[in-house]
Amino acid sequence: MDCFDAIVAGSGPGGAFAAYGLRGKRVLLLDVGYDAAASPRLSGNVYDLRRTRDDLFPELIGENFESLHNLHDRPISLKLKSPLLSFVVRDWRSLTPIVSQTFEGVISLAKGGLANAWGAGVYRFTNRDLSGFPISNDDLQSCYDELVRHIGVSGANDDLEPYFGRDEALLPPLELSPLFSDLLARYERARDEFARAGAFVGRARLAVLTQPLNGRAAYEYENLEFFQPHIPAIYTPSYTIDQLRSEGAIAYLSGRLVERFQERAGCVEVHTRNIETNEMEVWRGRKLCLAAGTLNTARIVLQSAGDYATRLPVLDNPMACIPIFSLRRIGAGLSLNDSSLAQLNCVIEDRDSGEPVQGTLYGSTGPLRSDVLFTLPLSFRSNLTLLRHVAPAGGLLMLFYPGVESPRSYLRLSPSGELEVEFAECSGNPEIEGRIIRLLRRIGYLTHPALVQRPGMGQALHYAGSLPMRDKPGPYQTHADGRLAGTAHVHIVDGACFSRLPSKNLTFTIMANAMRIGRLLARGLS
Amino acid sequence: MSTVAPSLAAEALYLHQGLFGRAPEPVVIERYAAAHRKLFAGAGSDLIARMAARGLDVEAVEFALRRRGRGELTRKIQILCYLVEVRSSYQRYFVPLNPSRVRAARELAAAAVRSAWKLAKGEYLVRRHGLL
Repeated sequence: MDCFDAIVAGSGPGGAFAAYGLRGKRVLLLDVGYDAAASPRLSGNVYDLRRTRDDLFPELIGENFESLHNLHDRPISLKLKSPLLSFVVRDWRSLTPIVSQTFEGVISLAKGGLANAWGAGVYRFTNRDLSGFPISNDDLQSCYDELVRHIGVSGANDDLEPYFGRDEALLPPLELSPLFSDLLARYERARDEFARAGAFVGRARLAVLTQPLNGRAAYEYENLEFFQPHIPAIYTPSYTIDQLRSEGAIAYLSGRLVERFQERAGCVEVHTRNIETNEMEVWRGRKLCLAAGTLNTARIVLQSAGDYATRLPVLDNPMACIPIFSLRRIGAGLSLNDSSLAQLNCVIEDRDSGEPVQGTLYGSTGPLRSDVLFTLPLSFRSNLTLLRHVAPAGGLLMLFYPGVESPRSYLRLSPSGELEVEFAECSGNPEIEGRIIRLLRRIGYLTHPALVQRPGMGQALHYAGSLPMRDKPGPYQTHADGRLAGTAHVHIVDGACFSRLPSKNLTFTIMANAMRIGRLLARGLS
Repeated sequence: MSTVAPSLAAEALYLHQGLFGRAPEPVVIERYAAAHRKLFAGAGSDLIARMAARGLDVEAVEFALRRRGRGELTRKIQILCYLVEVRSSYQRYFVPLNPSRVRAARELAAAAVRSAWKLAKGEYLVRRHGLL
């Protein structure tokens, strides 16, 4: 049987950059790999399209009424229910079933994974973020730097630099919408007061191009992020997969669900199910990089061990969503340079834990109005009026708290193949929320603690820590090079190997860590 | 040839007339029925049939019922709302085509008054007609 130097399972951020780090070796990437349908693309600004195109039903609602998903099924994010983006979560429930009372997230089997619909926030982990990891920022620095050159990161070195790290290769930041341009100007005038309160605001760092790079065009402010897949300016790992394929750096096989592995002398066998024929297939590699996503990677490991008893830990960022309003913007027109990407970030120090909480500020003009209309407090027609005039004046602050380990947050495989996933309830931190609400009010942005909403656990989609890296790993833990304890050839390269989960979006660090492990393996294979 | 079940067509007509003051375009009715067939077992609503027979104010009743928790009527109006939002002829309901702070202030004040009136009327209709 043919033996590859390395087999990579999964094409999300971990898989793409493990393969990237392994360039020069014979690499097979196995993936279910659903992709967007080859349907006509939306082109133009969302407001112009809605005024000038008689009917946007196929693109915004979908011939199968995909956008009505949350009216008849467990709610998912507004992006993921959009018809052109629904491939991101296609078939996950049937192919990788989860049973849970508390888990409100999703899994992706798409080429590029959940990052096809991500917010594109990219943040370097500092040594504070990496406390508890057996690696430091120095181990990741060169990978972060190469990533910035490869994917393109826009942003600024500003008040958030102590939290996000300095980056000399940033592209200019995105233009801010009028609402957030005003908010940033007001923050800058009140900076000292914010600093005394341990709160800081700055530009979002995004994997979004503001200048052409590596054959991709700059962002065009069409505000189609809720509806359009594969916007060239917004990076997704599928771009790297396509590049590696076109360079001949990897062999890519889609339609394969990795179910388990078995170590043999000098190699590892990977057992996949062909999702078209349902037949089992076996592939051999000298190394295996598991990057099927934190939950599915843990499933593969447990399935391979035939272990239906062990509970593994699992982390996600608890969230709080705080709507904000500016009275000055009520009645304003919609801006043609708006976007649904993160506009600003904020960081608030938690004085008790010493651990910062990160927030991201979004505009409210991207989604369909029907998604939120019935959450407003007035009658139908009055809610329409309210939305029409308040949308340009409103935004959303999404606060992300560090993931918390708890015996009640765990995953376990059942003999029937379902993954049992449960999360402990997390109530957020009212003191921190109250502090940022007071500061925002101070600069003219209205909100109230009663308006704070708490999405269910799993909705952050930042799963991590099921097979954590440790200095001295025990069973179901990993070494600093991602090698799963008790194995010789199996490496964990996605969020599963994170030792902890700070409040920052982890995707950029998944990429950097996977690239680091890929490079290490490539050197070892030499 | 239309394949719309009579009850769903009547439902779409009644809801749309009550909310937008005019009959919907045929394509909206077709899609309303198709959404029910695909996602909601194709059923028309007894509640809406009763409301339509008595000519009740849709907006008022929905508002009163929504305050007790979202139910079938709210869901059906939301389906209709999704279907019209993607049509250019309805954009004036969803985005400010001629933005003005003065107009916004005037319309928001009127909306608050209208909501209070609709709530009072809805509560009365819900009790008077036993719609709970």
